Amino acid sequence: MKARWIHAGVFLYGSVLLSAALFAQGGQRGIPAADPKNAEKPFDKHDLSGFWTRNGSPGGYGGGGTCRDCGDRGFGNDVPSFTPLGQKMFDANKPSYGRNLGTPDAAAHPEEHIGRRRAVPPANGTDPYQYCNPMGPSRALIYPDPVEFVVLPDRLYQHFEWGYGLRTIWTDGRKPLMDPDLPRWWGYSAGRWDGDTFVVTTTGVDERTWVDHFGYPHSVDMVLEERYRRTAYDVVELDMTITDPKIYSAPWKSQTKKFRKLEKGTIKSIEGWSGLLEDICAPADEVDQFNKRVRDPAGGVVR
Amino acid sequence: MRTFCFLLLIGGLLISMSAFAHHGTGVSYDASNPVTLKATVTEFRYANPHPQLYFDVTDEKGTVVHWSGEFYPNPAQLIQGGWGRKRSTDALPFGAKITITLAPSRAGTPVGAILTLLNEKGEVIMGVAGGGPGEAPRGGAPAPSGAGVPR
Repeated sequence: MKARWIHAGVFLYGSVLLSAALFAQGGQRGIPAADPKNAEKPFDKHDLSGFWTRNGSPGGYGGGGTCRDCGDRGFGNDVPSFTPLGQKMFDANKPSYGRNLGTPDAAAHPEEHIGRRRAVPPANGTDPYQYCNPMGPSRALIYPDPVEFVVLPDRLYQHFEWGYGLRTIWTDGRKPLMDPDLPRWWGYSAGRWDGDTFVVTTTGVDERTWVDHFGYPHSVDMVLEERYRRTAYDVVELDMTITDPKIYSAPWKSQTKKFRKLEKGTIKSIEGWSGLLEDICAPADEVDQFNKRVRDPAGGVVR
Repeated sequence: MRTFCFLLLIGGLLISMSAFAHHGTGVSYDASNPVTLKATVTEFRYANPHPQLYFDVTDEKGTVVHWSGEFYPNPAQLIQGGWGRKRSTDALPFGAKITITLAPSRAGTPVGAILTLLNEKGEVIMGVAGGGPGEAPRGGAPAPSGAGVPR
């Protein structure tokens, strides 16, 4: 009995500490991007290959919060003003992330753009990912789960664990495809090196995707620029800019996002089978089961 | 044992309430008013990204209410906590007796987000002690070694 009390006490104490830590850090918890033990390891600034993650857990995968200094889960808080069309599209998007709409908590944080303070129950929301639609490039990059960069002579694949999405960035010298005939969920991406910065220009992204999980809109004419810099053996930094005059009155620069390196073999199945997990959002599970049997009744919605 | 379980629940709730803040489907549930129920498992789905548990609760008058609950750890998180599909499914067969603590639906429907899950012996199942979809500590909080959860 005494041992049980000790265990319970330790658990309770640890829980309180963890809880306090999570609150105190405003969600920016977890481990930092750079591991001091890697500080002296050599690296090639032009080599982006491998497994990277923005996840803050030691394992580096499984959703959750971002690593401590890796930026948050939104594109950025400095949102340019909307155009009339942009405002209309923003209002039509009903996210379920951020502070709850109309609550004292939302009112207490005017420093945060309203997009981060308008969460509604998913049953009343319009998040396209609730129906397992592809996230699109910016949202997928921000999500704190692993992504494998596979570098080939003429392209770079980004294989995202979450959704098991595959995106192609062509590096064969082609120019960005402006005004493509057919929008695509992942758009059309062309990459090139500018010094030590890998610059990706993406166009033609289906406007049903959101910029991030806070429901910021974009038009099909959005030009997304990503600038990657490998700043350490185990760190890649990413800055993004959205230029979309139909929606935003000025280019929108992201908060700097960091990815930390995951050594091969870190991600494992229960049997130890290494490699990206198949985190597919299948409509057979999510739409036909979860949404109908849990999400909707949880929101008091009968369809 | 009862006191031990109570402390376990409180500890789990402290973790889960912090992880609840501002995230995902958490907006559907009221984590500040958790409910603890004795229940019988009717169905378990180890699905990505939302594992689901369906269970019956019988009140004092014998009325059966069909509940549904979502786990906050997704399979990737559960795997890191050692809770693969087979182990989880074996722990939650049809008819299993459980004690479950939920953040109930704000809509007042018999749906909740699972905060803590104990089997008939009082052992923590699936390491569940909070978080949100894609938000929980890996595999939920670990069970105390004295809780008898196989490692």
